[in-house]
Amino acid sequence: MKLHKIFLFALCAAVLNAALVGVEKAGAQEAPAPQGRVFVEFVSASNVVVSPGHSTPIHFTFHVKDPYHINSNHPLTEELIPTQLHFSLPPEVAFGKLQYPAGQMMSFPFDPSTKLSVYSGDLAIKGVVLAPGQASSGTYTIHGELKYQACDNNACYPPKKLPFTFNVKVGSGGKSVPKARATRTSPHIHN
Amino acid sequence: MDRRVVLILSLVIAFTGVLIAVKGRSRPGNVIDLSVAQPAGIQQEPAKQSSEPPAPEFPEPQKGSVAPDFALKSLPDGKEIRLSSLRGKAVVLNFWATWCEPCKTEMPSFVDLQKKYGSQGLQIVGVAMDDAEDKDITGFAKKMGVNYLVLRGTEKVGDLYGGIDRLPMTYYLDRSGKVVDQTLGMAGEAAIEDAIKRSLAQRRPSQSSSGAE
Repeated sequence: MKLHKIFLFALCAAVLNAALVGVEKAGAQEAPAPQGRVFVEFVSASNVVVSPGHSTPIHFTFHVKDPYHINSNHPLTEELIPTQLHFSLPPEVAFGKLQYPAGQMMSFPFDPSTKLSVYSGDLAIKGVVLAPGQASSGTYTIHGELKYQACDNNACYPPKKLPFTFNVKVGSGGKSVPKARATRTSPHIHN
Repeated sequence: MDRRVVLILSLVIAFTGVLIAVKGRSRPGNVIDLSVAQPAGIQQEPAKQSSEPPAPEFPEPQKGSVAPDFALKSLPDGKEIRLSSLRGKAVVLNFWATWCEPCKTEMPSFVDLQKKYGSQGLQIVGVAMDDAEDKDITGFAKKMGVNYLVLRGTEKVGDLYGGIDRLPMTYYLDRSGKVVDQTLGMAGEAAIEDAIKRSLAQRRPSQSSSGAE
């Protein structure tokens, strides 16, 4: 009887430990320590499945928080920092053309006479994912990074990088799209 | 069930539980490490953050306190300029960057006011908090007709002034180096001139009363 109690206690301790580890891990994924002001949030990347030797479109959605704006991918003066997407890619995945939306031409209280090419609110960037013919099937986690520089009506904030991740599945089910030029570096292709 | 077997089994389960717990705590959970070289001045943003501005990491100089001293390279000549060497002058310390449109908008006002009050002892100092190359900063300042000192800022000096988490940020110092006023973000020419007049109103300090560094 006594031994059964010891056995039950040990079993409970093990289950409790495992549960605590689970809670801790979940917390680490969802609630990193607050740090810095938030200007842009990563909303989503479309789920894509691409067959080896084929390509498929992908959409990224971000949200520029009110009251901020960020420069478009093609700001009007060379000093302004363009918004750009970059990826760290495994050999099994490549990116083709990235299509940034045209900037909204807006003027701001700090200089009502000048219009700037900016993004505010929702921001959708389109791309094409390619898998080389010899790519192994599997799900690959891609690390992306949105580089931007935000301002509001009165001030500007230092350039930032917003890291995000998304999955690309290489396997059957990918749709063939017209051949796009693949690159494994970060493409900066405009509309 | 054999008592020994039950006892050994219990110990094994308990030990396994402890091992899982220790391993789980020592492994960073889902950390995103892009391992990308980080140019100075670009801040990495965590995947999820608080929507509220955090408590200031670096305290800003308060009104009435002596502005923190520093030495920075001037552009385009590369000479080292120490802030405390400007004692006796009213100083406008304007943190700016070439990518900052509100900073650009303020510049003509600073140019006009340097002309207007320079003879009375005003020295405007533009501290470029920029990743751009020296020649680009110099070229930009030239294009804007800047007639005042331009220094190449550093993160360390930025930290002395509250971290400079936005631009423009301007401190108005009297002739003894004390902070008279501060503006966050862009200010209109009237407000800038008013702060300059208050900075100039202080009499030149005696040698013995100057310097806190």
